[in-house]
Formats: sequence, structure tokens, C-alpha cells
Amino acid sequence: MSEIDLKQLIFDLAGLMSVSGSTAHDSKKLIDLIGGYFDEVHTGAVGNHLFIRRCGKENAPKILVDTHYDEIGMCVTQVKDDGFLTVTNIGGLDTRILQASEVTVYGRDADGNEHNIYGVVGSTPPHLQKPGDANKLKPIDELLIDTGYTKAELEKYVRVGTPVGFRPKYLELKNGLIAGKGFDDKSCGACAVAAIASTPHEELWGDVYLLFSSFEEDGAFMVGASAGAFAVDPVCALVADVNLAHTPDTKKNETVEVNGGVSVTWSPLTDKRLNRILMDEAKEKGIKTQLSVCPGGTGTNATVVGLVGRGIPTVDVGLPLKSMHTCTEVISMEDAAALRDIIALFITSRKIAEDLK
Amino acid sequence: MYSLIKKMVCCAGTSGSEKKIAEVIRGEIAPYVDEITYDALGSLVALKKGTAAEGEKKKILLCAHMDEIGFMVTFIEDNGMLRLAPLGGINFTAAAFSEVVFENGTRGVIVPEAGTKPEDLKADKFYVDIGASTAGEASRRVSVGDRFALVQYTTRLSKNRIVGRPIDDRAGCAVLIEIAKRIFGGCRDDVYFAFTVQEEVGCRGARPVGFAVAPDVAIAFDVTGVGDVPGAKPMAVSLGDGAAIKVRDASVICDAGLVDQLHKIAADKKITHQTEVLISGGTDTSSLQMAGAGCAAGAISIPSRYIHSGVEMIDLRDAEACAALGTAYILGE
Amino acid sequence: MENKKVTEEKLSGIKLLRDLCLTFGPTGCEEAVADEICRQLEGTTDAEITRVRCGNVYAVLHGETKNGETAKKVMLSAHTDEVGFIINEIDSDGYLKFSCEGGIDPRVLCGRHVTFRGKDGDVAGVIASKAIHHQTADERKTATKVKDMYVDIGAKNKEDAEKYVAVGVWGTFDSDFVVFGENDRYMKGKAIDDRLGCAVIIETLRRLKAEGKRLPFDLYCAFTVREEIGRSGAQIAAQTFEPDYAIVLESTAIADLPDVPANSRVAKVGDGGVISLADRSTVYDREFVDGTMKIAAQKNIPAQIKRYVSGGNDAGHIHKAARGTKTLAVSAPTRYLHSASCVAAAADFDSIRELIYAVLNGYSF
Repeated sequence: MSEIDLKQLIFDLAGLMSVSGSTAHDSKKLIDLIGGYFDEVHTGAVGNHLFIRRCGKENAPKILVDTHYDEIGMCVTQVKDDGFLTVTNIGGLDTRILQASEVTVYGRDADGNEHNIYGVVGSTPPHLQKPGDANKLKPIDELLIDTGYTKAELEKYVRVGTPVGFRPKYLELKNGLIAGKGFDDKSCGACAVAAIASTPHEELWGDVYLLFSSFEEDGAFMVGASAGAFAVDPVCALVADVNLAHTPDTKKNETVEVNGGVSVTWSPLTDKRLNRILMDEAKEKGIKTQLSVCPGGTGTNATVVGLVGRGIPTVDVGLPLKSMHTCTEVISMEDAAALRDIIALFITSRKIAEDLK
Repeated sequence: MYSLIKKMVCCAGTSGSEKKIAEVIRGEIAPYVDEITYDALGSLVALKKGTAAEGEKKKILLCAHMDEIGFMVTFIEDNGMLRLAPLGGINFTAAAFSEVVFENGTRGVIVPEAGTKPEDLKADKFYVDIGASTAGEASRRVSVGDRFALVQYTTRLSKNRIVGRPIDDRAGCAVLIEIAKRIFGGCRDDVYFAFTVQEEVGCRGARPVGFAVAPDVAIAFDVTGVGDVPGAKPMAVSLGDGAAIKVRDASVICDAGLVDQLHKIAADKKITHQTEVLISGGTDTSSLQMAGAGCAAGAISIPSRYIHSGVEMIDLRDAEACAALGTAYILGE
Repeated sequence: MENKKVTEEKLSGIKLLRDLCLTFGPTGCEEAVADEICRQLEGTTDAEITRVRCGNVYAVLHGETKNGETAKKVMLSAHTDEVGFIINEIDSDGYLKFSCEGGIDPRVLCGRHVTFRGKDGDVAGVIASKAIHHQTADERKTATKVKDMYVDIGAKNKEDAEKYVAVGVWGTFDSDFVVFGENDRYMKGKAIDDRLGCAVIIETLRRLKAEGKRLPFDLYCAFTVREEIGRSGAQIAAQTFEPDYAIVLESTAIADLPDVPANSRVAKVGDGGVISLADRSTVYDREFVDGTMKIAAQKNIPAQIKRYVSGGNDAGHIHKAARGTKTLAVSAPTRYLHSASCVAAAADFDSIRELIYAVLNGYSF
């Protein structure tokens, strides 16, 4: 099998439209993009996508790899005169990046055909600002999206609830860092696909179920992961999600380092034994890891996956990411490659297989 | 529809104490369904069997909650005044100086302590005066743990608009019963009518119902807020503009396919409808979606003014539109 | 996203504007814009082109006067600079701290793509601040101050960053030029303020040549630097030429948005060039304003009077320079001015070009 271009796959996946609640929107494109690497593809009731790669043995144990496919975004709350829209957030969107940002309004015509509309989030002209206004952040419900349509024409395609996402545009920074929207968590999805697809079937210690779960960012609490894990009923799970990385205005003990390798979450919700095996084997193979200490919860799907059914031993690994929940999330390709390698390690590790017997 | 809503509204049933209202509902729906069961928490589930062969039919769960917001007695003062704890999202500004009724028929008034500032109107500043002058006298009429609520009633203000409580969500219960009547002639799929408990304290009753039924599709019928009153935050839902098809609320994002399908059916059948994006507040929809392996969940809402006050108001035409849309969804399959 | 075919066709008409908007030119670093303007003018006008030390570009077209009269002098001016940034510190982790050149609302900065013109080429970066997860409840309601923002270029540390950039390096927004809206009526980009004015002047010179017109007065076209910080190259131009009349081609901030009262809207995008009666720096020549509006009406060219006294531009310097100049400002109504996403109407670009051409040919100077 030819080597997967991981960076391109990250751009391709992150560029799909998958705002929470609309994970079925680009389902066909998603399956066209990565379905070929797997033996089976299923779509679930709550907007999940499940990709299965078999190890070839009868009654093989099931390994769940979860990355959430949904992303933050917005949805329309009002269609106003002169083609302006008001919106509300979907997920914990960082409102401060909205003014002057470029968005896509995912409209549909009367027959249900896609009709994407370009929009700009407006800012306030100086003469309408009172002294001190520039220090106040405008709440999202006061911002206007300018579509350049007339109201009558716009209403043919857009209604209350129509999803809105950031216009995909990616930048390559120095030292293999990349910036763009949707890296949370589709960059991890891309790493998982690259890891699973490049592992020969016979090297897997079980059938691998890659869950592209829905509703991590918003909606009923992490329902994609819990419903998905319930349906698969695996022997163990690896949850891969992005992790808050250190920036000049954050504390080092609350963040992980970009280019510091894969973060391995150490928390009461994650399985200690699997964590130890994973970190030991990663060290042997020269895969860079860093510890992310999370008392309480993990803030990721691991919060619910471990609690499904009779309990699922779960590890939680992370990709360091700066500016989370913006349209310019930043990750390092070096870390991404390490994440890919550690996922490959997880699904091929005989020690892990033994430990779960 | 009004007489049915009136029957539903004029009956007590705070969260965790829904037996009485459940029996009223059972009496109303029994003639139209094949099986009726109560689950462990007290939710009532009525099944109308579909005509299609096993394995070819879907399971559709329609859901409305029976419980209402209310209060529980926590302590009886020496002077016969009762202290209380809220059950559900009580708006104490709206509750102050109202008449309340206990499940045993005892009446009283809920009052804040003298001199309480408006911003301090919280549970521990309130007491209930049932006209008793000593703890002993009060204890002969009510006990710690007894439930009470603002008086249940309804008034028809105009041809289409009614006010009263608890419209939330007995109007939804009435809509479900109405749908059961309308599909009595037969439908393809299995339809489960669930009247759930304990929605007001955190959508608790719907979770086990969803798990037990494991439906393919679940639709909650509940009230939603509106943006058409003075001072309201902008919201594109108005009283009288029809059934509100929910896209999202604070607890859930509805299944996009189901939302599209409901819009299409409403447009085809010329049922007045609008689209709902509710910024705060949740419904059973989230619990239904989260049960077991999950299902396609959505909600059809009845627009309501003044929710969780003693004067909840709806437009009967909206309730009718909800019933029509629910019926069309089931029969249109 | 954008309908490719329509967009391509439409773009051919406004390709000049797109090229100018995409050119790098924050205040103080306008050389590339001057280069681009000279390139665009080369061979397409008979005007005499000069570049002067301060950074201005002049195109002078002498007129044809009758009976040996002294030719009147008319100046068209537009500014070449745009709002931008300058690096004032590189921190130990390799992040760039910056100040703004020109008045930028700090709320339009976070999350934007930016380009710095480094020693060995352009360097891409993003303006970042603390992730929402780390913000306190108060911080979530407060706009981040520019001094708390930083640009991430992917540098490992200060030493690594200094391979590409340095303190004093200029930057600007990296923003695509996009044609959008119903029937592609709007254009979005950075620096529409004031490359649109530059484009109008270039197109005017080209049309004069194409139609073989000789004007009965001397036409001085000035592409000037440093408008955004108010230390204007336009003043130098006015002092150089001492024109009798000047027309300032500008962009003006408008608020034709829902729920804004009619008077505060300033003007409406799509309704033609905005002609100012007064702003915070200038009271315009009333006769010149009225005469221009009359020509617009006669020729059915959309134009509108600015309904609000706000802002200011190069006219403030020009009308007071030397012996004084009768001055007119014609602005493109522009939404979200001084951001990465300025929005103007293609129709207004056309109307303004028509109006300027009509005024040059019809007004009795």
C-alpha cells in the first residue's frame, strides 16, 4: 500500500463540513475519501461513521479507536433584511475570532440540493461605537453575517437552523506547523486513518473499529461516542483528541507542548495498565510522548466511553493544538506523525492484547 | 383539543409524583392502543402495533412528559409556616404571592419573607402559609415531603388562545393522545406513546424509556419559548405560527435528516410550521437520543409564552398543527 | 463555494482591483503598491510617470488650452497604503508581538491570517490569543487587547524566528479577494481602502488614452503614501502641484446594516459613489459638490450624498495645502473598513469610474 500523505489527508478531512448535528452533510465525500482503506463502512443513528478493518481471524476481539468527526460552527437564528443573518454558536466557539472572518452558509434549495453561500462576519464602523466599546467583545447573537443576497432570494436557501461553518483555508507555518479550521478533531481522525490503513491486516491483534463520532462539541452529552461504543461493544478503546497546547498566555502545568509528542492522558477515567504498556512500548520504538495530567475528567470522549456497558478499558491520547475552537487552530506535523505511530502501535501491540485476555 | 388539554391540565403531578396524571392519561389513550405498561420509574408507555411484518417495520417513539414543576415541603416552622425546596426550574419571581395546592387538596399561598429584595428571591427566602398558626396544626394537614404546586387551571382567553398551568407539558400529552386517536385506523410501523416522568428535574424519565424501547426514531412533543413578546430576546418562533420543528436547544442537536423530513411533510400537507432554535432550555429529546446505541431524535414543539409561570399561554391552532404533523409523519411513512 | 465560472468572468472586469488589493502595502511599506501601479500604467497612458522620495507616484497629463490661457490644474488623488502591523518584539518562544499601523478595531484581529515581509521573503502567520478553554468568564466578554495578542509563525524560539523576521518588519492581512453575493454583486478583500481609489485613477487614465481625449486642463494624478496614520503624502502632492481643484478618491465606512437608524447608515452599498458635504477634517466646496451631483443626475450615474459627518481623509491636508484647493471627495461605500474583510459593491466601482470621467469632461473648472 502506498504511503498516505498525512498532511494532505488532514487538510482534506478538516476541510469537510461536519458541524455538530451535520455530520451526515459530507458523508459521501468522507466515505469516498477514506472508505477504501477499510473492509466495512457503517453510518449510525446519531450521525456516527464507523470504519472497520478486519484482522482476518474468526471471533477476533474488537478494538475501538474513537476520534470525533464533528466540529464547532454556528447555525442561523434569523434571516434579516438585505441578506444579513444572525447566528448562534454550535460548540464552544471562540467568539473573538468571528469579526471579519469568512464563512460558508450551508443552504439548500427547495429540492434539497446543496447551495453554499459565501458570507463575511461584519464589524462595527467607528461612528457607531461608544467610547470603550472596543474593549467589549460583541456577543455572538449581535454579530451579522453579510451574504450579499436579498432577503427574498436568501430565504429560498436558508432557514432558521441552517448550519454555518468557517471557510476552509489552510496555512503552512515554519517548522512543519499548520494552521486552519477543523483540526479539532479531524486531524486525529486523519492520524488514525493513516495508522490503520498502513497496518497490514495480519499484524492487527483484533478487528479495528474506527469510530468517527458525532456530538462531541455540542448536543446531547458526547452521545456519538457513547452510542457508538455501545453498538460496537469492544474489549478496549483508544480515544484520540486534540489537547490544549502551551502559548505565552497559558500555564505550563495546564497545557502540553507543541512538538512535544503525543500527550498521554493520566486520569482516573483512563486505564492505568494500558497507559503504562503504551508509554513503555512507545519509548522502545522512539515515539515521543508527554504526560497530560487530568484529575477529574479528560474533557474528551474518554469521559463516556469507559462507562459504556460493562465498562471499557480506555486510553486517551492527544495531539497538542494551539488556538482551539478557532478557524486558525495550529498543530505540528511532527506530533501528528507521532500520533499516527502510537495508534499503529496500539492496534498491533501483542502486550496489550495479552493484557486484555 | 381544548377539552382534552383541559383534562390534562387540571390534575397535579410534580416530578416524581406522576401517578394521578398517569391514570388520567391511561384512561384517555387506552381505547386507541394495543398495550399499556408502566416502567420502573413510573413512565407510561402505550404501544400501537404496526401492520407491517416483523423485521420490516420501524419503531417510532413519541414522547411527552407528564410531570410539572412544583415544590416539596422541607420543614415546618413553629408558627405553622412551611419551608420548601423547588422541583424543577422554578421562576421565583413568577411564583411569589401565588396560591398553591397540595396533592391532598390543602391550599396555601407561597410568599417571600418580608423585605426580600427582588434579586434575592430564592428558595430559602420563601415559605408557604396554609392558614395554620402552629406547627402541630400544620402537621395535621401536611407532612415534610408533601408535594405542592401553583394551582392547576386553564382559561380560554380568546377563540384560539388559552392560558393556565401546567400547559408545560400537558399540552404535549394531549397532542400525543390526539395522534393516537388519529392513527387508530392502522399504521405501518410500531408506534410507542411514552408519557415520561421527571423531565423537569433533568430529563430523567425518558432515558430508561429510550433504552427499553430502543426506537429507530424518537420525537418529543414539548413546549418551547417564543420571541414575540415585548422585551423577548430575538427568536424566530411566534405564537400562532404553527408547529415548531426543533433544530437545536441547549441539550440537543436534532437529527438533521428527521428535521428535513418533518419540514417536507409539513410543507406537502400544508401544516403551518416554523423552525426552532432554542438558546437555553432542554427537553427529553437529548435523553432519547442518548439511550443505548442512540436513535434519530427530534422534537415538535408547541410555542408557549411565559413558560414555568402560573400563566403559560399557547395557541390551540399550534397544538393542532403539532398533532397534524405527528400524525402525518406516522401515516406518511 | 463561489460559483467558479461566473466568478472568473466577473473578475476579468475587476482584475486590476484584485491585483492592487492583493499587493502588500501597510503604511510605511508601500513600495510594492507603487511598483504595481507603475506596472499597470506602463504603456496604457500618455501621462508622465514619476516616483518621488517620499513614496508617492505621480502621473501628469498636460491639457490643451485655448488662446494661450494658463491651464487650470486638477488633481486626482488616492492613497496607496493600507492598515497593517509592525513587529515590536519577538518573545523567547518565538511569537511576534506587534503594533497596528492605522486604526484597527482590535476585535477584528484574532484568528486572522497575516503576512510579514521578512528579510528573505514573506512569512505566513496567524494572530492568536489564549484558547477559549483557558479564558475566565470575564475574559470571554472582553475584547483581547492588541498588546496581549501574538502572531504564531511556527518558530521554535526567538533565535529561530529571527531567521525569518525582525523587530520593525511590516505585515498586513493575508486575505483572498472574493467576489460573492447574489449575481456576484459584492467584492471582499483587504485594502479595498484605498486600492479602489487607485484603480479608479488608473482606469481613468487608460480611458482617456483609449478614447484619444485631451482635457482642457492639466491633470495631476497622485498615488500617495501614509494616509492611514494621518501624516499624509497627499499633503506633499498638493504642495508640489498646487492644484486649483482636487478630487480625493477614497473608501468610507458605512453602516447600512439591519437595525441601524437611517441617518447613522452613512450611505448604502450599491447606490453609487459617496460624496461628502463635510467630515471631521474638511468642509467640502459646496459648488463642486452640487456641480458633481448635477452631472451624475444628468448622466444617470448613481451617486449619493454622505448622510453623516464622520471620518476624515487626505482632503483634510489637500484643501489646506499651499494656497488652498477646492476639494471634492468621492468614496466607495465600504462595509467593515480596516479589516481583513472589507466589502464593497462592483456596481459602485463602475459608478465612481463613470462619475469621475463625466466630471473631468463636464465640469467647468
